[in-house]
Amino acid sequence: MAEHMIEPDAALASGHPAHKAGETLIELRDLDKSYGAFKALQGMQFELRAGEVHVLFGENGAGKSTLIQIICGVQGFDSGSYRLFNEPVSVMTPALAHDKGVSIVFQEFSLIPEMTVEENLFLGHEMVQGMRLAKTEMRRKVHAVLDRLGFALDPRARVRTLRRAHQQMVEIAKALLWDCRVLILDEPTASLTDQEAAQLFDIIEQLRADGLGIVYVSHRMPEISRLADRVTVLRDGKYIDTVQMAETSEKELVQLMTGRTFDEFFPQITRSAGDTLMQFEGVTLQRGMAHDLSFKVRRGEVLGFAGLAGCGKSEVLRAAFGLEALASGEITCGGTRLDRHSPRKALGNRICYFPSDRATEGLAMSQNLISNSTVAALDDNRFSWRGMLLKRPAERSFTQDIVEKLKIRTPGLNARADQLSGGNKQKLMIARGLSREFDIFLFDEPTVGVDIQAKLEIYDVIKTLTEAGKAVVIASSELAEVMHMSHRVIVMREGAIVGELDGDEVTEQALLSHFFAHEEPAAQTAGEVN
Amino acid sequence: MADQTQSTPLDLRAIAPHLLLPLAIIGVVVFFAALQPAMISGGNVVNIMKQSSLFFFVAAAQLVVIITRGFDLSVGANVSLVSVVSSMVMTSLLPGLGVEIGVFAGVCTGLAIGAALGAINGVLVAYARINPFVVTLATMSIFTGIATTISGGFPIFNLPEGFSFALNQMTVLLLPIPLIIAGAVAWGLHVMLTRTVHGRVLYVLGDSNEVAHVGGRRVREHLFFAYVTSGILAAIAGLLMTAQTGSGEPNLGTSLVLSSIAAAVIGGASLRGGTGTISAPIYGALLITCLSIGMNLQQINGSLQPVVIGAILIFGAALDAYRTRGR
Repeated sequence: MAEHMIEPDAALASGHPAHKAGETLIELRDLDKSYGAFKALQGMQFELRAGEVHVLFGENGAGKSTLIQIICGVQGFDSGSYRLFNEPVSVMTPALAHDKGVSIVFQEFSLIPEMTVEENLFLGHEMVQGMRLAKTEMRRKVHAVLDRLGFALDPRARVRTLRRAHQQMVEIAKALLWDCRVLILDEPTASLTDQEAAQLFDIIEQLRADGLGIVYVSHRMPEISRLADRVTVLRDGKYIDTVQMAETSEKELVQLMTGRTFDEFFPQITRSAGDTLMQFEGVTLQRGMAHDLSFKVRRGEVLGFAGLAGCGKSEVLRAAFGLEALASGEITCGGTRLDRHSPRKALGNRICYFPSDRATEGLAMSQNLISNSTVAALDDNRFSWRGMLLKRPAERSFTQDIVEKLKIRTPGLNARADQLSGGNKQKLMIARGLSREFDIFLFDEPTVGVDIQAKLEIYDVIKTLTEAGKAVVIASSELAEVMHMSHRVIVMREGAIVGELDGDEVTEQALLSHFFAHEEPAAQTAGEVN
Repeated sequence: MADQTQSTPLDLRAIAPHLLLPLAIIGVVVFFAALQPAMISGGNVVNIMKQSSLFFFVAAAQLVVIITRGFDLSVGANVSLVSVVSSMVMTSLLPGLGVEIGVFAGVCTGLAIGAALGAINGVLVAYARINPFVVTLATMSIFTGIATTISGGFPIFNLPEGFSFALNQMTVLLLPIPLIIAGAVAWGLHVMLTRTVHGRVLYVLGDSNEVAHVGGRRVREHLFFAYVTSGILAAIAGLLMTAQTGSGEPNLGTSLVLSSIAAAVIGGASLRGGTGTISAPIYGALLITCLSIGMNLQQINGSLQPVVIGAILIFGAALDAYRTRGR
């Protein structure tokens, strides 16, 4: 099959599987890869067959990323064997992988926002006729691939104008534009809403039926149980096991991954609701994302905000932290009204906020761990003299402490934030909450794009804070999370509060019935809850 | 995972970037010395020290704003305007108030003007949120125009000799005074960048304004003061260069814009913001000064020097792109 190179139209038009189901596409045996003294992969085994979804499952730093990077040629390997389509591979490059039909959809999008969908699809692989771009031909191909995937996308739309879910579709279309036999998806649902994710799953199932081999990296249990045929578990760069999804359980997988037993996923947080620390009264935001908000934030309990993506729950947290301007209403904190609210004022009022978007608001990616962990507390006596001169030893020892306490995996304190994996980035950001005295903690999507181990550690932080008498507010699109972590849940829909549930009233059924205005709670959404 | 946190004792790849520039500077000196032994004569070494000290200030002015992901095209115009105005102040006060007060007033005026010009850039960039490229391109034109207008386009002569002596010819422990001042300012800047809250915030906001804002930092104030600092540094360059020339020159800084950016960038500051240490303007100034003096000694056509400066800038930017690839 080696001569079977770029021949996109044949595969697209016919829709015939390029491979028979069950045929081995990728085979890795005893693969090792080290960076200096750090063994990223040891004795890795992996096999991908045509017509299967093979999930890679493991914590941050378990080696999943290294493995897929080796498969698609971004990284080399030290020893072991790599067979692609039954041919041994000695040197692999991204270009070669692409030519052979191995496509990857990265977690971080590779699209250029200012270019159109069409231009992005052909980026770097433009078709030419003589010296000119073969525009008609390219347009035809774009339509073919979009039709095949059932995406209603305008090829001439600029990527910047698309929603994240649609950008993801463009990424997938880009991977499938050329004859693709192996598709690698790296946490594809990290930024999608439940409905968008469901649409993606349908496409994946269709591609599997077409005979593609799909490598799927994820740590979200519901989607793993829905999609996976087989699961390969990695831990600390070592191969643990490959199991048939049909013969295993979530419990067993988590046990394999963490090497410890799976007791209770969500911690039991003791509630001891105390004084009201913060109060919203008739708050309407200038940008119109939320209106007429009135609620109280109390000590010693977790207040959850639930609702579909875009319902305004994140904006509520942003308003509490001074990142959204108010059109009317007032926010009071400790009895005083927060006028001309700003993050600086919020921090001064002992309010701490963890944004959902780590990359743009949370962490300064090319600064080191120390800079990132103390940035919100630089005028505190602990880290500076009168907000002028830094107390560098104090910064260093604080950062060292939180690295140990939150088990942040890092090459060192002077490593840049972007050298950490997703879960460790999140933990680094959360470290900020420990850098000075806070009373109110606002978590916006606290565990988005974070693996299970890090998730448990973050839940533990939330438990500790709440039980120490702090007020915790969580906004989460993950229903199970907001349901199990919160003592009190406020449900939002289209920018308004549509319900408040307390204690035992917080059930999946009750939450879902508030999510949707008229329709019954969709069975599919319910199915995605842990 | 214990082995992950251990750093290898001698990682050549980590050290190499720090050795690259000193080696390049030595290489340039050795190369020109081989062609023309006068390159390493006592007089020329002093010359290199003086020239690179003067040039250091504009490169440092550039560094401070490059860290914030901006840059300052008006440094050269600032140098010219400071040169003209401080010279005018000195020559007009000299007859009445004597040398000491005249020179002191001239220096203070120069520094104040530098700070004011920096503040204008700072207000427009930080508070009016206009792109630094546009702001400083415009102020470059404005400042240059003012310098030419008030001087009538002619140099201002008859500066007190005490001025040239105090800021150029004097030596302290055999070291030329510009080098002493540059050393002191470099140390001060280093402390500011690495040991103060202001310096820390400059790096963070250069990386991302939003992160600094969410971290409760006063982003606009810090950004404003970065441009003020840049203006003051350029003013020091203006005063020292005036002392060297011995006259106020309305076009003293014309050629400094590109070369100051080139020096900061080749020295290791990234135009993406958030990185760059005091070693960047030091190495950058030394490298470009040695090249330029070497070419003068070789009697290479002066018109070729801008070609070299341009090439250095591109090379520096390419190095930066290489360093940050994949990020």
